[in-house]
Amino acid sequence: MRSGSVPEARWGLRATQAAVFVLLVAAWEVASRLRWLDPFFFSRPSSVAERVARWFASGEVYVHIYVTSLETLLAFLVGSLLGVGVGFAFALSPALSRVFDPYVKVANAMPRIVLAPIFTLWFGLGILSKVAFGVTLVFFVVFFNTYQGVREVDRNVLNNARMLGATDRDLLRHVLLPSALVWILSSLHTSVGLALVGAVVGEYLGSARGLGYLIHQAEALFDTTGVFAGLVVLAGFVLVVDLLVSSVERHLLRWKPPSHVEEAL
Amino acid sequence: MKLASPPGTCAVRLQGCRRSFRTPDGGVYVALDRVDLEVRAGEFVALVGPTGCGKSTLLNLVAGLLPPDAGRVEVFGSPLEGINRRASYLFQQDVLLPWKTAEENVMLGLVFRRVPREEARRQARAWLERVGLRGFENRYPHQLSGGMRKRVALAQNLIVDPEILLMDEPFAALDVQTRQLMENDLLRIWQEERKTVLFVTHDLEEAIALSDRVVVLSAGPAARPVGEFPVDLPRPRDVTEVRLDPAFGELFRRIWDLLRGEVLRAFRLGP
Repeated sequence: MRSGSVPEARWGLRATQAAVFVLLVAAWEVASRLRWLDPFFFSRPSSVAERVARWFASGEVYVHIYVTSLETLLAFLVGSLLGVGVGFAFALSPALSRVFDPYVKVANAMPRIVLAPIFTLWFGLGILSKVAFGVTLVFFVVFFNTYQGVREVDRNVLNNARMLGATDRDLLRHVLLPSALVWILSSLHTSVGLALVGAVVGEYLGSARGLGYLIHQAEALFDTTGVFAGLVVLAGFVLVVDLLVSSVERHLLRWKPPSHVEEAL
Repeated sequence: MKLASPPGTCAVRLQGCRRSFRTPDGGVYVALDRVDLEVRAGEFVALVGPTGCGKSTLLNLVAGLLPPDAGRVEVFGSPLEGINRRASYLFQQDVLLPWKTAEENVMLGLVFRRVPREEARRQARAWLERVGLRGFENRYPHQLSGGMRKRVALAQNLIVDPEILLMDEPFAALDVQTRQLMENDLLRIWQEERKTVLFVTHDLEEAIALSDRVVVLSAGPAARPVGEFPVDLPRPRDVTEVRLDPAFGELFRRIWDLLRGEVLRAFRLGP
């Protein structure tokens, strides 16, 4: 936040970051042209760039981006809603949380990747199996954060609202939900990232569309350029999603004081 | 000027109240025992006592946030059940909602009473102006100083027009100058509204400067009122000037004689 007030420093940083990128790409290109790296296994930046440009020019990549976005969005929304709902229920009902505690722990400890084939069997090769897979990843992050958020509400804040005449519903709406939202938002980057991981890994394991499919397809043909091109598109996609999340976060948390770390910087 | 209730009636009455807590090691700690206290309508009563003597517990009993183990709490003659709807409570801690602006925080009580938004907003603005925060309506709590946040909290409490105002060391965290300004503002508003006030503090000077009556609580465990001192200083008062009144010093000495013993006892018993 502070860095906005010193544009020179900001530009310096950006320039350095760009220089690092140029240097790495140039090194890769040169190494590949001089045959220090076998182009069959490592491809080269110019070929990758050409492939990406062709994908966009022919428009064949858009359907994959669309499918992956849709899966990510759905996995995020469904996972978050379930996480918030169950998180609230557990936080407000100690009995419920005591009974289900071991199940939650086991389910969370299980490596979710083993579920992917089962979801493919249950939900087919379409987007549903990827959404289901993403949901299992997103759910737990949101669930734990909601649970924590509700449990950590200051007693005095609750009592103050009660003294001011809040009903249980008022407490939920004006105190508990916003308080949990802070925690949920703080994990927004993680949960959106996990939704994306769910989508791409699901596609990679079996699908007919999506960025994960694109990469898997190229890999099956030993087309290294295609793999790297897929990675570049995926990286660009992740960057855009992350920027969107950051702007949503900034808007929703505008009431928050800048963190001490940022102040110190 | 409107009177909340006819003067002289009993706004709060505690009879033989006892309240204990479970300690982490499984024992029982009796915070208050055999507490009798009466506060007349429109009266400003200050409650002083050593730290940890259960002053806040006593306020929580009157607020209805804690039920007594034994004894009864009456509010305007009827036994209290659940939250005390005729009281509001100014907490020692910061209890503003950080995600709401000053104005939204102040109007909270009206929102809970289903007052239309526009009307609530209008009243909130008026109250912010009365506590000297005009122009700060759209600030978030973290953008306000400690003193300003207390003013917002005060407005938040007064907007619901409570008959009884409970205050738990509300100004303890403020610097001396801000504190005296706030005390004078509180007196001015109390003079206009004539709320019944039960004010908890560990600062005897503050207690005398503000109140009609000082009640001294003994050191815990099993704390209870051990002395009562009417404060006959003229009103309206200025908290800074009233301290120079010879009667103030005389009263201070008399109450301190009693309080000192309790403070020493609390000190020796340790927390």
